[in-house]
Amino acid sequence: MTVTPEFQGTHLFDRLCWAKENLEPHQSDYRVVYEDSVDECAKILVPDPNWMACALQGGILPPVQVYWELAKDEAQPDFKKHTRGYLLHNTEPVEAMTEEQALEYLIMKDCPQHVWRDWDSGNKPKLVICRKEQLPATREWRNAWKISEDLATDETVAA
Amino acid sequence: MALGKIKADTLEHSTAGSLDTKFVVEGSAKAHASYAGSGTSFSSSFNCSSAVDNGAGKYSVNLSSALSATAQVTPIGSCNVNGDSSTTATTTIVVSTSAYKTNTSNDQGSFTDAAGVFSVLMGDLA
Repeated sequence: MTVTPEFQGTHLFDRLCWAKENLEPHQSDYRVVYEDSVDECAKILVPDPNWMACALQGGILPPVQVYWELAKDEAQPDFKKHTRGYLLHNTEPVEAMTEEQALEYLIMKDCPQHVWRDWDSGNKPKLVICRKEQLPATREWRNAWKISEDLATDETVAA
Repeated sequence: MALGKIKADTLEHSTAGSLDTKFVVEGSAKAHASYAGSGTSFSSSFNCSSAVDNGAGKYSVNLSSALSATAQVTPIGSCNVNGDSSTTATTTIVVSTSAYKTNTSNDQGSFTDAAGVFSVLMGDLA
C-alpha cells in the first residue's frame, strides 16, 4: 500500500501532483443530485476520480472548513485576492475517508451551503445521493429534471 | 515524484537566451478537465474535486487547490461536436476562485450537450 508522505506545510497543488503520480483514480458509482433553485433543474455532482483517490488515501486534503474560510474571505465586498491560502497548505490534512465520508465532504465543499445545511427541511427533498444507475438513462428533457419526491432507493431518483 | 527540489530563478540556454522561472510557474495550467457532456463523467482531470451537470450544455468544475483571485485568470474551453447535431460554441467563465463554468451551444445559440468537454485554467494559485 502506498504510504502518504507527511504533507502538512506542503502546497496542496504539490500534494495533488504526488497523488496523480502515485494513486490509482477511483471512479465513484455515486452521484449527488441537488436543487439550489426552484426555477432551475436538478444538478448532478460527479466526484473527480483523482480527488476521490486522495480522499480515500488520507493525509492529502485539507479539512473542509478551510474551504469555508476561503469562501468567507471571497464573499467580502472588498475581496481582491486570497491572503489566507496558507490555510490550504498548513492545516493538518484529514485522515483517510470512506467513500461515504468522502461524498459528505464533497457535498459540504462543492454544493451551496443553503442546500446541504437544511437538506431535510422543507416540503420536498433538495439533495440526495444516488447510484449513477438510478439517474435517467437518457438526457431527454434534461432541463426539466427534478428530484423525485418518492425517494425509494431502488427506483430512479431524478425523473 | 521525488520530493526533492531544484531552486532556480532563471533558466539559461547556451544560444537562445534565458527565461525567468516565474514565467514557467505562473504560466503553467493550474487545472484541466475532460469529461463527457452527457453525464459529466471524467476521462481526465487534474486539480478538480467534482464536475456538476447543471443542465443541457451547462457544466461547472470545482477545484481542489483554489486560485488566488478570479481576476487575471484565463479559462480555455473546447468541445467535441456531436455526431447528430452541431455543437459549435464553448464559453468558459470563472465564477469563483474555486469553480468555473463551461457552456456548450449549437449554431442557433441554444445550450446543447457536447460529446466531450475540455477545459484548462491558467492563473495563480492561492
